[in-house]
Amino acid sequence: MTDPLTLRLQHLILATLKLDDVRPEELPVDEPLIGSPRFGLDSLDALELVLAIEHEFGVKIGSSEESRSALGSVNTLAAYLRTHAPGL
Amino acid sequence: MNAPAAVPRNPGPSWGYGFLLWAERWWPRWFFRPVLLAGTGVALAFMPVQRAHSRAYLAVVLGRPATLTEVWRHFFALADSLVFSLRAARGVPVRCVLAPEHAAAFETLVRSSRPALFGTFHFGGSDLLGYLLSERGRRVTIIRLQVGNSTDTRLLGERFGHQVSFLWINDPARLLFDLKAALEAGESLALKCDRLEYSARSEPFRFLGANRLFPFTIYHLALLFDRPVVFCIAVQETARDQLRVHASPVFTPDPAADRAANTRAARRHFQGVLDQLETLVRAHPFLWFNFIPLNPAATGGTLPPDSPPIQPACHSERSAESTAASPAPGANPWILRCAQDDNRMRGAD
Repeated sequence: MTDPLTLRLQHLILATLKLDDVRPEELPVDEPLIGSPRFGLDSLDALELVLAIEHEFGVKIGSSEESRSALGSVNTLAAYLRTHAPGL
Repeated sequence: MNAPAAVPRNPGPSWGYGFLLWAERWWPRWFFRPVLLAGTGVALAFMPVQRAHSRAYLAVVLGRPATLTEVWRHFFALADSLVFSLRAARGVPVRCVLAPEHAAAFETLVRSSRPALFGTFHFGGSDLLGYLLSERGRRVTIIRLQVGNSTDTRLLGERFGHQVSFLWINDPARLLFDLKAALEAGESLALKCDRLEYSARSEPFRFLGANRLFPFTIYHLALLFDRPVVFCIAVQETARDQLRVHASPVFTPDPAADRAANTRAARRHFQGVLDQLETLVRAHPFLWFNFIPLNPAATGGTLPPDSPPIQPACHSERSAESTAASPAPGANPWILRCAQDDNRMRGAD
C-alpha cells in the first residue's frame, strides 16, 4: 500500500507536469524522474517541480546536487522530504 | 557569477580579437577597413562549413541562390559587428536610439523596478543590448555560453560589470539553481532565443516562409516566475557608433488566467516578435549572425506569408517523449537550453 506522502507526491507531480492521462498509481515510485526515456523530465520540468515542492512542503532544495538526488525518483523525493521536513 | 566549466572557443587564431582591438584603435580607418575586408576574405576561404550555412540561409532570405559576394558580405557584416562591440568595450560611446514602435512600453518597463526577461536574437548589434540596458539603470544577468577566446565579452563585462553579471550555461548541472536563484533574487535576465541547441522547449513558429522551431523557454520562465518578457532587436549603424533598437510589445503573464491561456498568449506574442524579426532580417539579411543551419521546419509545410498564427504543437523534450523522441543519448537533461552564447561562428569543427 502506498504511503500518504508518496501518494501526495504522485498527485503533485502529475498536477505540476500536467500529465493528465496518467493516474497517480501508474507513476512508478522507483524510476528516475530525470533523464528516463519513459518518464524523462527536462530541466524546465525539474525546475517547475522543485518550485511546486518548495511551495507545497515549505522545503527549500538548495543546490543542484541536492535536487539531482532528491528528484532521482518518487521514493528518493519522499525520503528527501522526510529528512528535511521531519513533520511529514 | 558562476564559474564556467567546459569552455569551447570561436574559430580563428587565438590572437584574433586582440589584434582587431589593437588595429581598430591605432590604425587609421582608411587603412584598417581594407585590412578587415581582406581578413574577411581569408575567413571565407578557411571556413567552408560556415560558408555553406551562410549560403543556405541567404538562399532562403533572398529567394535565389546567393552569390559568393553576398556570402562574403554576410561574413563581413559579422566582422563589422564584432569591431563595433570591441569599440564599445574599449569605451567608445554607443548611442542607442529606440525605434518609435513599442518604445513607450519598453521604456516604462526598463525604467521600472520590476524584474523582467529580455529576449533577443543573434542579429545585428543585439549582443550589446544587455550592456545598453544597464546604461538605462537596469541591472541585468546575461545568460551565455562562454567561449575561450571571446575578448569582446570579457571587455564588455569589465566595462559594465557594476550593472551586468553573467550566468554561464557551460556547467549545466549548476545552471538550474543559478537561474532559479537569480530569478528569486529579483534579477532581470537577458537571453537569446533563436538557437535550438540550448533550448529545452522549442515550438514551431512562422518564420521565413516555413513553420520553424524556435526556443520557447523564455516564456516558460516568465510564467513560472511571473516576469514580463520583452524582446529587443538592434541594428548597428557602424559609421555613427549607433544602435537602432526595435522593441517588441511587452508580454505580461495574466495572473487571472490559467497556464494554458497564458501559454497561448505567449505563443501569439512570440509569433509577433518573430514577424518583427523577419521584417528586419529581410531588410538587413547580412545581419543574421547564425552561421549554423537555419532553424528547421517543424512539419515541412510552407506557410503563406499572411497565414494566421500557427497552431502550436509543443516540441518539448517531454512531449516528444511520448513519440519516443527522448533526449539524445548522453544529453544532459539538466541543461536549460535557452541562452545566448558568444560562439559566433559555431560549426567550424
